[in-house]
Amino acid sequence: MIAPTSPTAPTALISPTAPTSPTAPISPTAPTSPTAPTSPTAPTSPTALVSPDLLRSARFRLDREPSWRRLEALVQQAEAQGIASLDYTKAKDLAVLYRQAMTSLALARDISLDLALLTYLDQLCARAWLVVYAPQQSLSGLLGRLLHSGIPQAVRRSAVPLLIGALALMLGAVAGFVLFMRDASWFYTFVPTGLSDGRAPGASVEYLRATLYDSHPQGTDMLAAFAAYLFSNNTNVAIFIFGLGIFCAVPSFLLTFYNGLVIGAFFGLFAQAGLGFDAFAWLSIHGVTELAAICIACAGGARLGLAVLLPGPLSRRDALRLHGRDAVKLFMLTGLMLLVAGVVEGVLRQTITDPAARLTIGWGLAVFWVIWLTFSGRTAKAAPP
Amino acid sequence: MKRKAKPRTTSPLTARPLTARPLRHLESYTPPEGVPIGLELASLGARFGAVILDVVLIWLGIGVILIAVFWLNLLPFSALLTLAVIFGFFAGVPYYVLAELIWHGRTLGKRITGIRVVSADGRALGPHQIVARNLLKQAEFFAPLGAIYSIRLTEWPMVAVIVAWCLCVGLCPMISKRKQRLGDVVAGTLVVVKPRAALLADLALQKPQARFTFDQTQLDIYGSYELQTLEMILRDTSRSPLLRAEMAKVAQTIARRTGFTDPAVTTDPQGFLTAFYRAQRERLESRQLFGDRRVDKFHNIAGDK
Repeated sequence: MIAPTSPTAPTALISPTAPTSPTAPISPTAPTSPTAPTSPTAPTSPTALVSPDLLRSARFRLDREPSWRRLEALVQQAEAQGIASLDYTKAKDLAVLYRQAMTSLALARDISLDLALLTYLDQLCARAWLVVYAPQQSLSGLLGRLLHSGIPQAVRRSAVPLLIGALALMLGAVAGFVLFMRDASWFYTFVPTGLSDGRAPGASVEYLRATLYDSHPQGTDMLAAFAAYLFSNNTNVAIFIFGLGIFCAVPSFLLTFYNGLVIGAFFGLFAQAGLGFDAFAWLSIHGVTELAAICIACAGGARLGLAVLLPGPLSRRDALRLHGRDAVKLFMLTGLMLLVAGVVEGVLRQTITDPAARLTIGWGLAVFWVIWLTFSGRTAKAAPP
Repeated sequence: MKRKAKPRTTSPLTARPLTARPLRHLESYTPPEGVPIGLELASLGARFGAVILDVVLIWLGIGVILIAVFWLNLLPFSALLTLAVIFGFFAGVPYYVLAELIWHGRTLGKRITGIRVVSADGRALGPHQIVARNLLKQAEFFAPLGAIYSIRLTEWPMVAVIVAWCLCVGLCPMISKRKQRLGDVVAGTLVVVKPRAALLADLALQKPQARFTFDQTQLDIYGSYELQTLEMILRDTSRSPLLRAEMAKVAQTIARRTGFTDPAVTTDPQGFLTAFYRAQRERLESRQLFGDRRVDKFHNIAGDK
């Protein structure tokens, strides 16, 4: 109840023994007192207009209406031209008037039954809240912080999901390789025909070697388009792997496992033809980054899945929201790595044909990722106790 | 203040839905200041419309740019192809994330339909929330629907799985109490209607006519629900004969219930209702100050004094 704290309460309360007079609550002995403390920016004499036989809620409204109007004008300007268009005094007024309007709303709910007033204040406060609590970071600062500390810290907090992702891919690769070595017809089961491009069991060693070392059949001027296509395609796969993680991580695991199967079968095909080392180098230059990115997307999905499976003391909804923060950062890392891998795959892979150089670039990139993710954004407090 | 579940008589005052609040799906929402504010949850139709508008507008824009570049012969064909692929990628998650970052939770389509994203905890909308909800939007709808396009129709089980998936995911916001889809749950966000309201004049400012005075027993019948319904009738600005007829009916009902026997009720129903509104509001507001909130006309039945 507002009565004990309201400055007007003691004079206006009617005694329960004399309830019959309908005019008692608006006793004319205290018509002017409440205005001064609550509206410092309001014009000086609104109380002069207030006649004493008004309802208390009507007087409440007349007193404060100028400051609401001013807040409304400020909010309108901020909405139309951005909050940066407000100068110092206006910005200060906005903050003060916003809090005053919030107080008015809380008071109005207790002393007024005027639906129009309640609705207006509600909506005014909501609008002001949206302006006052709009995110204020700049885009570049956001990106810098993400790269410097956000992503590496999120990765370091996600050891178990990363293990799950790596395990999924490796198990898939080993299974694909072993199954292919036992029976080459598994290849057709694992690898969609569109992807194999003639590289299938029974292809000649020369043909396989040519796919590793010759430049792209469409010619070098299409390389950029090809790289962009690969990046866009891979990102869509990664989004699938990530988003489906919400279902207890199982779809993420399966999709990553399947990716591993394809890699394993491909590698088995080349290894059978005696091209194991060459295929490894060919795969390394972009594959180290790309496959790591797939693992990390799977880890992000696993983070969501684990939140659903093992929410701990939180509700599942809260756990999802909490783990969602890190999961999203893991996915941003995936996007970044896929971008790098796409450029390397589309441009460098076809122009650099020396296996040693391919290995150096591929694993050099891997070393860079590891160093960045391990050491960037460490603070003294972040070290585990 | 409990209300008994009793069959209600259909007087003109209670023939409307139970709440006198004009906003549907009101979300009680608490900012850091601790005062709950009312935000209206966006309807699913508005949200769907916003998505459609976004898709149409962005692809229209991309198409115009590409055709212009092609027409002016600025780039070789392969570079044009690269540009197309990059644009195609940009039209997905990056566009939604950047738009919602720059415009504080609004994309082009959301701006047009007048809705926006807010954080469900009452604080500022964080960048990770924007990324999370849009990544999952891609995984929920866009990626599966795109996959249907690339699958041959002979593989119908796959198509069926994808369609079932989209139906399940699309059902989520319909079931959810706060109309959240999966991405909203993970990100902790809500989609609300942009608040806007004008301050209407106070109906209780005019001095009541002397002949319309009410005593306390006459004012102890109704509660704030009836009061606010009466307010909405008085605020109706359409000067139609229908409204005048309804006003006369309402005035007569109130006069009958309160035992007010002045012939002026029939000659000047508007004056009577305005005076009654003022007196009733005064009475209820003063009772409310004592902690006696009278929700509606059943407050006596429920055992309140």
